[in-house]
Amino acid sequence: MIDMIKNISFSRLSRDDKPIAIAATFILVILIAGTIYTLDRFGSAPLFSPSYLVQQLQIGSFLGIVAAGMMIVILISQIDLSVPWTLAAGAMTATAVGGEWALPAALVVGLVVGTVNGLGVAYLRIPSMIFTLGVNAVMRGLMVAQTGGFAPQTKATDLMRYIAAERTLGIPHAIFVWLAVSILIVIMLRRTAFGRSIYAIGNKEAAAYLSGVPTKRVTILAFILCSVLASLAGVLLAGYSTKAYQGMGDAYVLPAIAAVVIGGTNILGGRGRYLGTVVGVILIVLLNSVLSIMEMPEAGRQIIYGLVIISMLLVYGRGEKATS
Amino acid sequence: MTTRHADDLLILNGVSKRYGGVKALQDVNFSCGRGRVHAVLGENGAGKSTLIKIISGVVQPDEGAMMLDGATVNFRSPAAANDAGIVCIFQELSLMPDLTVSDNISISSPPRKFGLIDAKAQRLRAEELLATIGCEDVNPLMRIRDLPLSRRQMVEIAKALGKKPKILILDEATSALTSSDVEKVYAMLARLKAEGVAILYISHRMHEIEALADDASVFRNGRHIETFKKGERSNDEIVQLMIGREISAHFLPKPAYELRKPLLEIRNLSWENRLHDVSLSVGRGEIVGLGGLDGQGQKELLLSMFGVLKRVSGDVLIDGVTQNLNSPIAAKAAGGGIALVPEDRKTEGLMLPMSIAENLVIASLDELSSGIFVDETKVSAAVADAIKRLKIKIGSPDDAVSTLSGGNQQKVVIAKWLMTRPDVILLNDPTRGIDVGTKQEIYRLLRELADEGAAILFYSTDYDELIGSCDRVAILYDGRIISELQGDAINEKNIVAASLNIAGQKSTGGTHAGH
Repeated sequence: MIDMIKNISFSRLSRDDKPIAIAATFILVILIAGTIYTLDRFGSAPLFSPSYLVQQLQIGSFLGIVAAGMMIVILISQIDLSVPWTLAAGAMTATAVGGEWALPAALVVGLVVGTVNGLGVAYLRIPSMIFTLGVNAVMRGLMVAQTGGFAPQTKATDLMRYIAAERTLGIPHAIFVWLAVSILIVIMLRRTAFGRSIYAIGNKEAAAYLSGVPTKRVTILAFILCSVLASLAGVLLAGYSTKAYQGMGDAYVLPAIAAVVIGGTNILGGRGRYLGTVVGVILIVLLNSVLSIMEMPEAGRQIIYGLVIISMLLVYGRGEKATS
Repeated sequence: MTTRHADDLLILNGVSKRYGGVKALQDVNFSCGRGRVHAVLGENGAGKSTLIKIISGVVQPDEGAMMLDGATVNFRSPAAANDAGIVCIFQELSLMPDLTVSDNISISSPPRKFGLIDAKAQRLRAEELLATIGCEDVNPLMRIRDLPLSRRQMVEIAKALGKKPKILILDEATSALTSSDVEKVYAMLARLKAEGVAILYISHRMHEIEALADDASVFRNGRHIETFKKGERSNDEIVQLMIGREISAHFLPKPAYELRKPLLEIRNLSWENRLHDVSLSVGRGEIVGLGGLDGQGQKELLLSMFGVLKRVSGDVLIDGVTQNLNSPIAAKAAGGGIALVPEDRKTEGLMLPMSIAENLVIASLDELSSGIFVDETKVSAAVADAIKRLKIKIGSPDDAVSTLSGGNQQKVVIAKWLMTRPDVILLNDPTRGIDVGTKQEIYRLLRELADEGAAILFYSTDYDELIGSCDRVAILYDGRIISELQGDAINEKNIVAASLNIAGQKSTGGTHAGH
């Protein structure tokens, strides 16, 4: 598989575009392999039907919004491991508050968590891997305590159902939300001083600091963005599945990081295009879906999932060594 | 003229190397004899670094052959070259900042006992090696991070000696050393020479080459131009071979000294135990040099004025107004703006993997934005302007800044700050490891900026530079300004005497850094 991908000529592409092209090719490979399987088993090719693809994009939009925020944090060479319970807390707060304040309340939760993360990393200088992991545990405790004493409302509001699950012209609204988030992120990364500063910090924080870039402010804003997007994803997910529940965010942190990295963003920060993250999200969602269509047992799915991520990175890593 | 013997220790035949479209080396024939110091000369980008990288196994040549001790060799890696006795001291230091001196010296083959690292033997070995280069003052158990640059470089040299070289390559290895260290390195090289070691020496300091080299080879644009023995060529001839064009006077004539109203005033600045009561003023249009041995507080003085150091006591005034400098952001906005060209361009000055354009505009994004958006038209105009003004040699502004030669990288750092139109310009040894041509351009630029009304404070480890380009020179010793020279008093004798603090007390040999 690796050789096959390698042999397709990507050499003319720029450093940032190559991973995106490889990932996009791999998406086609997944779809074709899945179709060969379904043709053989059921004599039909549902994977290329618009309704299947739209369905996958709807599922992908939750992961996509989380991954968008994660990418910003990874670009400044940090990581946010508090995403699972920030997502759950956003969803649970939204359903508990209910009514028209459901969404703003959830976003405020994200804002607070992001500010705490940002302050801890920027001012206390605690490595984000540890700090956000601690914040995740605290959030989990808070949520368990909140639901332990009494039974708050966990049912999604109508508005949450509307933006997550309902459709206009056959397209789920969640996809529009993902699209809006994506457009904002792309504009921010490419056109604003904040976006330029993010890449500068990720490449060499000392040089950015000595150039008068407000490194602390940018770091805090990046964490806020990540947490707010995670809580937004929580609200959408609750709307989609009609209720909020503990542990609903647990399945999002690793796929989000994987999507960012598969999309070609350097895990050490400073380099990567947003389009790559979108392609990475689609790859992960399709891979999961096709593996379950193939009735692959859970153990096998996990193994293939891990191997795919590792082998993609192996392919990207090639040819990078010679530049000194 | 060209002297090649079949029994030379190292012989290169027709070696070529390309990076993409760029021919870094073309058909180079080169040889180096036993027990000789061979200087490799050329401007930045002449191919010296590539030559060294090929000899030391970092890169493999596209064409040609290399012979060591009469046998053809083909090094696949630096480790293979090391095993064959080729040891290199690179311009960029290769030490791990968080390990101790002794860990670093024995990093590739630590002494072992029962399969584990023998810490005591390792320490003794470090002490021994440091003693051979007169560095008894370096504690082998100190972390590299806590040593000043000049000590780190000596540790680097000790580490290289520990590998028992047959061929020792020094790539700008003396650029950060203090004068007393340089003496020790000379003595060490003389010993190695007597033992038959071949030494390849790269330096931009002509007087070092004069003092040391037995042979010299000049490179230009990837080609080997000429090899000659010591004394066969005059300095002027050598410089001409290097640049391929006539070179005018080294420094611009200085304007007559005049007393100026101070633009930048420093009053009683102290920081921890590194700066004591420093007071200094720089007038509009004046270039003031900071001199002295390395590590006497010059770097801290510049950093404290740029808001990098915390808990600095004393005042900094611009145009008579006290400034609150608690961060580089504040410094950038203070008065008419302060700029700092930092010590290490690769880690402090540039984001190496990012493009030239991105690096140029990073300090002035606010000025180049309309509302929250970066204005691309303004950006490309500003970038084109900067590249033109500093004559930065580039392919495209979108290329990574790491693809530029050292001199051009430094120009990018300076251009980045000129975009902010600063009134006060601080420079920390801006010409370290830069070729002659670019150095001159930088001197000219500094004078131009001063004439336009900037106040320039400029630390340099090169005495000639202080003498040739500064209106006044302040010499630091142990965190204090112990002497201020102006006019004709700025000469090598006075600077050296003040640096060693000879006037006041007997010199302690100048190894005063890092208590």
